[in-house]
Parts: sequence; structure tokens; C-alpha cells
Amino acid sequence: MLIASIVCLIGIAAQAAAPFQDLAARATAAREANDVPHAIELYKQSVDLNPRWEEGWWYLGSLLYDSDQYAAGRDALKHVVQIDAKAAPAWALLGLCEFETGEYSTSLDDIRRAFAQQLDPQMESVLHYHEALLLTRLGRFDEAVKAYTWFVSRGVKNPELMVAFGLAALRTPRLPKEVAGDPQRFALAGQAAYLTMLRDYKDANETFDHLLQAFPRAHYVHYLYGCFLLAAKPDEAMAELRRELEITPASGAANAMLAWVLLERGDTDAARPYARAAAAQDPSLPLAQYVWGRSLLEDGKVNVSIEHLQLAEQRDPSNIETHMSLATAYSKSARPLDARRERLQTLEMLRANAHENP
Amino acid sequence: MRILSLTVGLILAAQMGHGGQAPAAPLTCATCHPAQAGPQPETSMARAIQLPAVDPLFRSHPRLDLKIGAYSYVIERRANEVTYSVTDGRDTLILPVHYAFGVGSQTFVLEREGRLYESFVSFYPAIDGLDRTMGDQQLQPKTLLEALGRDVTETESAACFGCHSTGAVAGKRLNLSAMIPGVRCQHCHVGALDHLAAISRGKLESVPPKLKQLSPEDLSNFCGQCHRTWETVVRNKWQGEVDVRFQPYRLANSRCFDGVDQRISCIACHDPHREIVREDKTYDAKCLACHSAGAPPSAGMLAAHAGDPPSAVVMKTCPVSTSDCVTCHMPKVQLPGGHMFFKDHEIRVVRSGDPYPN
Repeated sequence: MLIASIVCLIGIAAQAAAPFQDLAARATAAREANDVPHAIELYKQSVDLNPRWEEGWWYLGSLLYDSDQYAAGRDALKHVVQIDAKAAPAWALLGLCEFETGEYSTSLDDIRRAFAQQLDPQMESVLHYHEALLLTRLGRFDEAVKAYTWFVSRGVKNPELMVAFGLAALRTPRLPKEVAGDPQRFALAGQAAYLTMLRDYKDANETFDHLLQAFPRAHYVHYLYGCFLLAAKPDEAMAELRRELEITPASGAANAMLAWVLLERGDTDAARPYARAAAAQDPSLPLAQYVWGRSLLEDGKVNVSIEHLQLAEQRDPSNIETHMSLATAYSKSARPLDARRERLQTLEMLRANAHENP
Repeated sequence: MRILSLTVGLILAAQMGHGGQAPAAPLTCATCHPAQAGPQPETSMARAIQLPAVDPLFRSHPRLDLKIGAYSYVIERRANEVTYSVTDGRDTLILPVHYAFGVGSQTFVLEREGRLYESFVSFYPAIDGLDRTMGDQQLQPKTLLEALGRDVTETESAACFGCHSTGAVAGKRLNLSAMIPGVRCQHCHVGALDHLAAISRGKLESVPPKLKQLSPEDLSNFCGQCHRTWETVVRNKWQGEVDVRFQPYRLANSRCFDGVDQRISCIACHDPHREIVREDKTYDAKCLACHSAGAPPSAGMLAAHAGDPPSAVVMKTCPVSTSDCVTCHMPKVQLPGGHMFFKDHEIRVVRSGDPYPN
């Protein structure tokens, strides 16, 4: 009786497996024959029969992505990462689908999940580009500019990249396709920023001249030029930042940068109004929180300064200056253990930097 | 305040003599503050710059010479002038020594065609002679002028004289005509001259800020303006044994440093108005102020034991000794290329074979 039951169960399973295996084989054949619509249909039927078939979901997702069916592709790829959380290509393609469907924040998260795994070089390049685009679109311009260093260090350069880089450099939360009608300003800004990162200061300066002549009243052109001048010509840099504030009075970034230069010069009184304005105008900007926190610290308002410095640290933990100021603030507020932690972290970051950039 | 007014009034009356006659001697800082201003001129800080005519070095060593590679150096005293010469065998540069920086080890400042030079060779008591100036070990002079010394920028000159003398820097610019050699009262006590003038007129309003009321963290930053703050060392990425000179930095790295505990500050151990005390035993009481049974717990100790009963919060004591603490816990470290040792102010338990902590 028992044997009969087992034989019966095996028979039922075999009947179920036979159509799945048949469907899977036909889906594969259609895909290999480049019959994409048919392959998509067959993969859909296959995963309906066997929802744990990771390979089926993967091919379904990638075929849907290739056919510009991003929402459906996203849904298929979510199954892949549910089955295998370490499937880097699936996270990557999922992020790219979400990029296309306009789910920018989720897209960025998923692309970064893909980075945590091993990727092939071509996919890595695509993902770095999209990461930078997403950071720009989400208004995280400073992080976006940092993301473009990946391309600068590899000598990757093309017109689309320059426009994209220019959007980040001019703090414009748009994608290149959204400024397709007027890309010149961004292309020039991207070129100038790229050359600056290459330390080709002569050509960068010439490009800035073109940019300033062509777009003297455009938002963030003077800000960008001011940032370029900061190290070598701080007085001229401050003048450019002030010009930016005439054009963009509510710019948290320009106010924050000006405050930072003044704080570095030890002129807390002059820095204070800019720092306060920066924190009010752009509270999500780490530099704004940092300069306002540091300004408060130097005014002796230690406890409230800690609140702002902590916000700056949360939003940009890689900024050594924030850890340094927090160490001082904690030390002044009878929190020696926290001060020591921040100091040790600063020194550790310094050592890591020295190791990476000997 | 009333007691202070009476005291000052008495001193002023004594100065004025009976019947409001002209003062017997000019009012100085020492008139009212003899304990501080009396011994201060004899300190090393007060002699941080010495004029060659009165520098004891040139009395004991009227001629110093050294050959480094192709260049021969002679520093020679003739009457009241000291000259510094360098020759390559064909040509010779001879310049008067304008200033000698330091008390034991000395580096010389020369002037040529309106520019200041730091001498390529310095005097070191440990070898009782000349050697390369610290920091110049890697330099390989290619010309006689380079062999003479290092051309010092205006900013660097202002920083050097700003710390080694008094009144030489106004608005970040160097003004040697106003310079008083060494660190004198008004160097630290900003406003002391106005205070002196006001006191001469019998007015008490212009009292300079009381530095001893600063917190340890603020004092470290105050003294660190010359001895280098923790932040200055971090920003300049000075790492390795060379940073042992920067006591506020090293102290802040100590596990026991607490920015609000007056038992661990620059002036808890050192009286800047008196010459540094070099007997290790002298500092035992400072260490035992915290590290002895019954010593009040520090803020850090309380934080580490938050929630514990008060009896559990006990300051650590040394299991080895209660004397000569600094010989073990603040070892002497040789300054690379400096022919001198500094007490490491990173107070710690030193284990044999441990690398120098950065």
C-alpha cells in the first residue's frame, strides 16, 4: 500500500516536472534563437510552474529589461534576489530597471548592493555611471562628484559623461536626458570639473573662462569656479562664492562653502551668518551642518553644536573635519570617551588615506 | 573685586610715592604680578629667540664649523657680530646672523636681498656642534644659495616669529621692527599692554582674560597655537616620532585626557612663568591626583561606569610604583634628525616592543 502510494506520488511529480522541463527547454531555445517575445512568454509560464527557478526569473528579467519593459523586468528580478541575495548581476539589473521606472532612491540602494559583490568590468562601469547619475538626481551632488572620480582615474571620457558630470558640478538635480535641449553649459562645467580632477589646471582654467563668458548668470557656475580657486587663490574664491550668492541667494552650498573658508581663516564672526543661512537653507547638506556646528562650537555653544556636527557626521561619515570638530566638542562637554572615539577614528581614517594615497 | 582694587590701589600708591609725586620706577607687569612676571624672563620661552650679540652660545663657541658634502660652513663671532658663511671652495656667501631660534638647540635666521633664510645647519648641544637643521635631512643643495639655507615664505616667517617672539606679527603680517625677542607677557596675555596703560591711569577695567580659567581642552588649543594643537597635527598629517614635539597633540591622544578635568591640562603640570622642571619626581603628585586610592573619578571614568554603584567607580592605580611615574608612562623619544629627546606626552602603559603610537 505504502509502495503504491509512493509510486503514485512520484508519478504525479513526474507529470508536473515534464511540462516545466519542456517549457524551460523551449524558453532557452527561443532565447538562443533571439525570439525575445516568445522567450519571455515561455519563461513566464516556466516560473509560474516553478517559482523557485532562479535562472528562469533571471532570463525573464534580463529579456524584459532588454525589451524596455522595466516595470515587469524589475518584478522578475526581485524574485531572483529573493532566492539568492548575493546575485550581483540581478541586483545590478534590478537597480537599472528601477532607474528607468524613476524609483531613484531604491535604484541607488540596489546598485550599491550589486557593488558589494563581484561584477564584470563592463557592468561595473555602467553601474558607476548610474550611481553618479542617481546621486545627482537625488540632489546628493558632492557624493556624485566623488563618484565621477572613478571615470577620471580610468581616463574614461565621452560627451555624455561630461554633461552628466556637469549636472553634478552645477548642482542640478536632473538627468542628462532632461537637459538634452541645452547641454552646453553642463558639458563645459563637466569638462572643467574633469580637468580639475585630473590636476590639469591650465586647461581647466581655460574651460572655466569659456564657461564664465558663456554663462555668467547661470546658477552654480561661480560656485564651481570658486571651489576651483579655493586652494590657490582663496580671496578670489571667496569673491566668486559671493557672486554665486547674488545669483542664487538661497544656495546652502555657496553659503556653506563661504562659511568654511572663513572658519579656516579663523574669522568666526564673518563665518557665522553664512553658516547659519547654509544650515537653514539646506539642512540635508553635510557641509552646511558641519559649518554651523563648528561655528556654534567656536562660539562656546557646545551642546547645540554637537547636534549639528552629529547630523553632518551621519550624512557624510567620510569627512575627517567633522570627526575632528566632534572630538573637540565632546571633549569640551565632559564626554572624554566620545572624544577619544572620534580622535581614534580620525587617526584611523588618516592612516587609511595615507595607505590609499601614499 | 574689592580686595583686588585695594591691592592695586596700594601698589599704585606705593608707585606714586607720597603726595602724588612722579613714580619712582615705570610700572611693569612685575609690579603687580611679581610671582609670574619676575621669573618669566629667565625661562626658555622668554629666550625662544636670542640676538647673536647676547647669545651665550657664541660666547662659549666663538667659532663653529662643519663640512657637508661639497659645502663648508663656519659660524663665527667677531666683536658683537656673528657671521654665517658657506663656501663650495670657489665662491663664498657670508651673511650676518640676525636671530638665533631656540635655547639649547639653535637654528639661525639670515637675511639676503630682503628675504629670510633658515640656516641649513643648526647647533645641537648633544653633539656640541653643528649638523643639518632638522627637517632638511633630505635636501641636497645644488647651489651655494640652497646650501646657505631654506628660503622661508612670508607666511612661514610670520608663523615662526609669531611663536618665538612677541609683537612681531600684526594681521598675519610680519613686522620685525616691532618684535621683542622671546615669548613675553603680552604674547599670551593679549591686552596686557592696554591693561598696563590703564592701570597706570588707575583704571581697572581692562583686565586680560584669565587663562587659568580655561578648560584643559581650551588650554591645549591655546598653548597649541605654538606647541601645535591636535587638529593642526592631524591636518598637516605629521606622523611618526617627529610629532613627539607637539605636546598638546600627544596629550589629547592619551587615554586619560579629559577636556574638562583640571587635573590634566598643560598648566596642571607646567607653570609657563617658570623654567620647565626636568626632575621626574616633581610630576608624581600630578599623576597621583588621579591615580591614587580615593582620588575623585574623572568624567571618563564615570561615563565608563554609568549605572554602576559609586563604590565601583575607582580610579586606576599603578601596581608598580607611586614615584617617578613619567619615567615609565611618558618615555623619552628621540626626535628624528634632531639630536634631542622629548618626553612623550601621550601618557600610557608602555609595553616593551610596542611601536610608537601615532
